[in-house]
Amino acid sequence: MSTSQDLPGIIQAKLSSGEAAITVHEASLMQGWVRASRILALVEHENECALFIFISSRMPPEVFTDLAIERVIPVDADFKCEIDAGEQSVDVYVNISSRKLKLLFEMIPGLKTNNFVSEIMRSMEALSKRRGPPPEFQWLHKYSGSSNRNSADCVASSLDTSDDDAFKASKTEAEKMLDILDSPDIVVPRQSIAQGATPIAARESVIRHQMSMKEDDYTFTQTLRMFIGTWNVNGLPPSSSLTPWLASDLEPPDIYAIGFQELDLSKEAFLFNDTPREEEWRKAVMAGLHPGGKYRQVALVRLVGMMLILLVEEKHVKHVRNAAFETVGTGIMGKMGNKGGVAIRVEIHNTSICFVNSHLAAHVEEYERRNQDYHDICSRLSFSKFAPVKCIKDHDQIYWLGDLNYRITEVEINTVRDLINQNYFPALIQYDQLHRQRSQNNVFEGYHEGAITFKPTYKYDPGTDDWDSSEKNRAPAWCDRVLWRGDGIEQKEYRSHPILKTSDHKPVSALFDSQVRVIDVVKYRKVHEEVMKKLDKLENEFLPQVTVDNTEIIFDIVRYLEPQSQELIIANTGQVPVQFEFIKKLDDSKCCKEWLNIDPPVSFIMPGEKCDVKLEVFVDKKSAFKLNSGVDKLYDILVLHLEGGKDIFITVTGNYERSCFGSSLEALVHVSVPVREIPIGKLVELETTKEAPGGMEPYPIPKEIWFLVDHLYRHGLKKQNLFLLPGLHSELLAIRNWLDNGSSEPLPGSLHSIAEALLLLLDSTSEPIVPFNLQSVCLGASSNYLQCKQIVVQLPEYRKNVFLYLCFFLQELLSHANENGLDAKTLATVFGGIFLRDSPRPSARANSTVDRKKANFVYHFLVNDLSDYVVSKALHLGPSS
Amino acid sequence: MSVGPYNYSYIFKYIIIGDMGVGKSCLLHQFTEKKFMSDCPHTIGVEFGTRIIEVSGQKIKLQIWDTAGQERFRAVTRSYYRGAAGALMVYDITRRSTYNHLSSWLTDTRNLTNPSTVIFLIGNKCDLNAARDVTYEEAKQFADENGLMFVEASAKSGENVEEAFLETAKKIYQSIQDGRLDLNAAESGVQHKPSQPGGRNTLVNDQTASKDSCSC
Repeated sequence: MSTSQDLPGIIQAKLSSGEAAITVHEASLMQGWVRASRILALVEHENECALFIFISSRMPPEVFTDLAIERVIPVDADFKCEIDAGEQSVDVYVNISSRKLKLLFEMIPGLKTNNFVSEIMRSMEALSKRRGPPPEFQWLHKYSGSSNRNSADCVASSLDTSDDDAFKASKTEAEKMLDILDSPDIVVPRQSIAQGATPIAARESVIRHQMSMKEDDYTFTQTLRMFIGTWNVNGLPPSSSLTPWLASDLEPPDIYAIGFQELDLSKEAFLFNDTPREEEWRKAVMAGLHPGGKYRQVALVRLVGMMLILLVEEKHVKHVRNAAFETVGTGIMGKMGNKGGVAIRVEIHNTSICFVNSHLAAHVEEYERRNQDYHDICSRLSFSKFAPVKCIKDHDQIYWLGDLNYRITEVEINTVRDLINQNYFPALIQYDQLHRQRSQNNVFEGYHEGAITFKPTYKYDPGTDDWDSSEKNRAPAWCDRVLWRGDGIEQKEYRSHPILKTSDHKPVSALFDSQVRVIDVVKYRKVHEEVMKKLDKLENEFLPQVTVDNTEIIFDIVRYLEPQSQELIIANTGQVPVQFEFIKKLDDSKCCKEWLNIDPPVSFIMPGEKCDVKLEVFVDKKSAFKLNSGVDKLYDILVLHLEGGKDIFITVTGNYERSCFGSSLEALVHVSVPVREIPIGKLVELETTKEAPGGMEPYPIPKEIWFLVDHLYRHGLKKQNLFLLPGLHSELLAIRNWLDNGSSEPLPGSLHSIAEALLLLLDSTSEPIVPFNLQSVCLGASSNYLQCKQIVVQLPEYRKNVFLYLCFFLQELLSHANENGLDAKTLATVFGGIFLRDSPRPSARANSTVDRKKANFVYHFLVNDLSDYVVSKALHLGPSS
Repeated sequence: MSVGPYNYSYIFKYIIIGDMGVGKSCLLHQFTEKKFMSDCPHTIGVEFGTRIIEVSGQKIKLQIWDTAGQERFRAVTRSYYRGAAGALMVYDITRRSTYNHLSSWLTDTRNLTNPSTVIFLIGNKCDLNAARDVTYEEAKQFADENGLMFVEASAKSGENVEEAFLETAKKIYQSIQDGRLDLNAAESGVQHKPSQPGGRNTLVNDQTASKDSCSC
């Protein structure tokens, strides 16, 4: 990860001047079920922030040209960032959303992710505290390619839908793929996997994400009639029925949200938040509800004088979940409860709804203070019982009611009263502070308010419909308001109820037809099952898949020292890269028998590609004896294992042509005909029993050795460098065939080939001439001829015969040293290694001291007179039968 | 409150064993894909399939190893028994020889798995009742005598396929609950993926009557 330290620099190089990457982080974008690498950067420009999403042509990027901007999401009022991490979570999931765009990123937990997310949160917080007009994000337009739009709203959406050529030109393959992925169905991005995106495991976050994308498929809308009421009661107890306010419509509403302000203006209420008024007004509300419905109180929340009651018609109660309430004081010291807000949130069916009742700062000139109270309530009010905590804005529908205290200013009080008397409200609304502040985007961004067709609700002489006649002679104002935000909300009524005269305010109510999303349980189960099934299916599809062209590799006839190979073609027919390996079976130490070689035994294949694996059979001295003796067969089952997937068995078979090579001296002396002429099984039997079959007198030495030595004796005594120069491989094979099959032709091959064939034959026997268990004795005795002689005399008969026979021959060779240039030391070294062959165990490694001792041992028998050994007459060199 | 990253709590390893041609791969395919695979080739090796199921409210991921049935692979397939929590032993009700070999498959299973491995006997191809060669009763008796669970099923019609896989999982889950199966044993065939108890916010009707709790 050392290069990632340069990452901020690379990102910065990609940006324009004046734009600063505050923080940069690597993350995986979840595309359907697949994760793809992205680089995220929070970029700041003149106090405006945006999240940049980059695709890099390589990971990590090395230069800024590796990067392409995939999306730019402005951190505006619609920007949301939620963390979704379980306690034992391996990964952190970060949901980024902006309007209809929802992106899910997976990040590796740790300090870097924490820092990155907290920087995003900080930028969102900074936005919420921002005063004045909302950011316009002009600087982002160059990234979206749309210069004629001046609203920030366009940036994210234009990136989604813009057909602008400049943007199109910069689209990468991955981006095109992303377009496909954005389609509502779960598309399996086959291509993306080929591009190295890795399939993901089944994860709750991903399923939730998928379910939320498919919400339309399992929900339908139901319209609920909402009654939102607000009344500043000026600290007075109820004095008349609330029915004219709460039950003035024909149809009973489904939901009531009733807010009061200045419920109690006493010191006790202010200091101890305790008041009898709460119960008095609650009872009054209950008594005044529409007689056409039966209502249950879902929640009640009060902070000093602000009270909010949520009532739900009984038939809907069972669909209300996760109710919660919170309060925020914005009074003195920014926390006292004489001003501020109280809120209740619920989920009705599948729609989250938040009701906020607020009493904002008083006094005509304090509209900025009111704006600030609003922002404080937004940023400070959070429902902490949820993780992550939910704020007001995190709801599908928000109803904001209360004494917002905005006044009518900059107009003569008499003009105001005149306009009111003429019911000419559109003119008057121009002087309404809330109207002005909202049109300047200073407060209640994203909220709607219906047209006001009722008289200002403040300030009256209590008990009358007369405007304030006190000394202050306050101008009338629309202090009491209802605003909303969210989709599927239609306002039916917005009115005041002047008939209620208890307070210096008139109560206000708004009636809405609000659409909530109802989960169709049957459809939900079906969609959920589909998602799960898709996941199962994908998981099975994402299993590595290959086909092999042949699972039965048959080698026709395999001969000693003659390699043969066949190709196995492994094709990756799945959707993911495959790592394959030939693995060993339960009790084996290697993945295949020693006569087989697999190349490559481990490799990696990309989807759609192939790998040729070469299987080579080569029988040499290590395996020949086992094959001759029937201990082993040319038969093996290879296990081709796909990492994370299935195994395929490859059967390898062949016919091994038995040979004198790789047999034991004891067996060979009992065979009077060429090895190939005895029936199959006979050699196996001989090797097993080492007994003479049917009374045949065994030869003193194997006839094959005799043939080779005899030939050399006749034709090669004067040959230079005999046993020192190698033969030809083809001639060696011809000699092998001549020995195994028998022939009336003379022995083929050059003298060097015949000499090497002799060495190879001696070297391939199951045991060396000096048995393995005597090797160390021989080495110990190697400096003393008498001891060596003693050992040789005690060798098993045929071994002793072969040993002495060869020594006679080598002495004969040395007697021609003048012509052939050979010397005893050299020959002793060559034959020492063969007579005293090391055991095949890997521990017995070549060692020059051992080699010298072996040579010393043989040397004695090349330079001393051997005539006193009692040997069979047949061992005498020279012309014989 | 959010759950961990896994949408399952356990992984159970299953093996499917039995003679060649009894329909092991078709049973797996029917279980994972809900489809019958006609002209299914002989398995040359070990196929691998997975599915997430639910037992007692717990999501369980089944990892299923479907072994080659051919006798010549027997020595190799023995490598795969180790660590299986469930073994589905399959015979073909229309071929008595496949039933007769059960004791040899059972011996392998007992020798190569651990005592808590759940062995489920499946008499496959019960859709071919006309060609039946093994009665339900004698197979049932064999299962009872050997303490095996047993159903006759059809990979073709899907009958009892789901049940066989699910019942096996239930039995394994029960063993875990009873403490008979040691999750820490390397060869239990079960991996536990702890996810948060209770999951997300519970979907119960938690109205908050707030009368006495609204103070700040």
